[in-house]
Amino acid sequence: MEFKDYYAVLGVQRNATDDELRKAFRKLARKYHPDVSKEADAQIRMRDINEANDVLRDKDKRAAYDALADRVARGGGSGADHAGGSGSGGFQPPPGWDEGFEFHHSADQGPADHAHFSEFFSSVFGKSAQRSASGGNYRARGEDHHAAIEISVEDAINGVERDISLRALETDAQGQPNFVNRTLTVKIPAGVHPGQFIRLTGHGMPGHGGEPAGDLYLEVRIALHSLYRVDGRDLYLTLPVTPTEAALGAQVKVPTPNGSVLEVTVPPNARSGLKLRLKERGLPGKPPGHLYLLIDIVLPLADTDAVRKAYEQLAQAAPFNPRRHLRVEGGV
Amino acid sequence: MSKNYANASVRVSVSATVAISQEHPIAIHELAHACGASVEWVAQLVEVGIVEVTVPAGPPDAWYFHSIDLQSALEVRRLERDFGVELEAAALILDLQREVRRLKVALQVQRR
Repeated sequence: MEFKDYYAVLGVQRNATDDELRKAFRKLARKYHPDVSKEADAQIRMRDINEANDVLRDKDKRAAYDALADRVARGGGSGADHAGGSGSGGFQPPPGWDEGFEFHHSADQGPADHAHFSEFFSSVFGKSAQRSASGGNYRARGEDHHAAIEISVEDAINGVERDISLRALETDAQGQPNFVNRTLTVKIPAGVHPGQFIRLTGHGMPGHGGEPAGDLYLEVRIALHSLYRVDGRDLYLTLPVTPTEAALGAQVKVPTPNGSVLEVTVPPNARSGLKLRLKERGLPGKPPGHLYLLIDIVLPLADTDAVRKAYEQLAQAAPFNPRRHLRVEGGV
Repeated sequence: MSKNYANASVRVSVSATVAISQEHPIAIHELAHACGASVEWVAQLVEVGIVEVTVPAGPPDAWYFHSIDLQSALEVRRLERDFGVELEAAALILDLQREVRRLKVALQVQRR
């Protein structure tokens, strides 16, 4: 685990004012927003930016972080040495580094994004926040966590069991909070659609003062598929047909995501882009989605005398000008 | 006093999973808790039209919501926190964001 320079992440000086921090964060948050950014690593950058902002915009956390950074700069950074760890140069917060600091979770901080933050953040701030919350008579249900899970079209239809890894805070028998790497084997029910949330009761943050733990919400995302594109519960499949099939109509076989094969009628005089709907053959649900076939006319190559002759005969038999609307001279 | 910061590993099988749906909507206090907010804040979202109550009649205690409402509420919470956006402006941003995503999907659908 590396020590994270949050000031460098936000591109500000260590003495940056709150206003400078806010401006720097907002500029970067716009730049790396997933709906806007073309950067390949936008998601990771956004996580780092959110994490740096969470620490530096909070007066107490920033003071503690600065004190820790000073200690690291003086060469006292790795707690692994104190703890009899590997001593491989990786960063561990030194024991008792946070004495004199207290971190609070205020009600207006919003969703618990901390679940997405780095191991560095968790090891530095997670335990302290937990100790702070567990002190006194504080009683509250644990915070809910949010994460995304990406599954295939087939898994969305049939359901699937998937492992997800989370880093969670748990309190041991002595009442001390400890990090535990939890691998949850989660059953995704059949018939989920993109944007749907799956709730895992009691798998959020632990509660305080005997209150129950929070829940974990998993947002379903559907991975890109080699054949099907997903729009809500609807699926789209490009269906290549020959000019003869498009002109005269045909019966063609198409695969469906549940594994079955259907025979579909291509109507005569079908044009490229024509949309055929297979009712309720998309993702299941209430109501179920449809499977749309997008007709794509594929021309045979004119690479033999016979084919060239056939094209010439077609031109003679069906003379027409597809560019008439361009209103230019020439052509047929 | 030194302390060992090593992480433990645990494998857990979760059988009790519930997909938020028409049959299993979430109550107003659950939506509020998921967003780290109050039920009054959720009531404001209803008023602005950011989330939609499944059965609008009745007191807020009887209000239930779907996945899309949770998605919207979480996004608005982030916009408020990160950019100090007012609810009405957040609603517009959400609409534009959805339109961008819809157009991206439409482009993808047309791709051969």
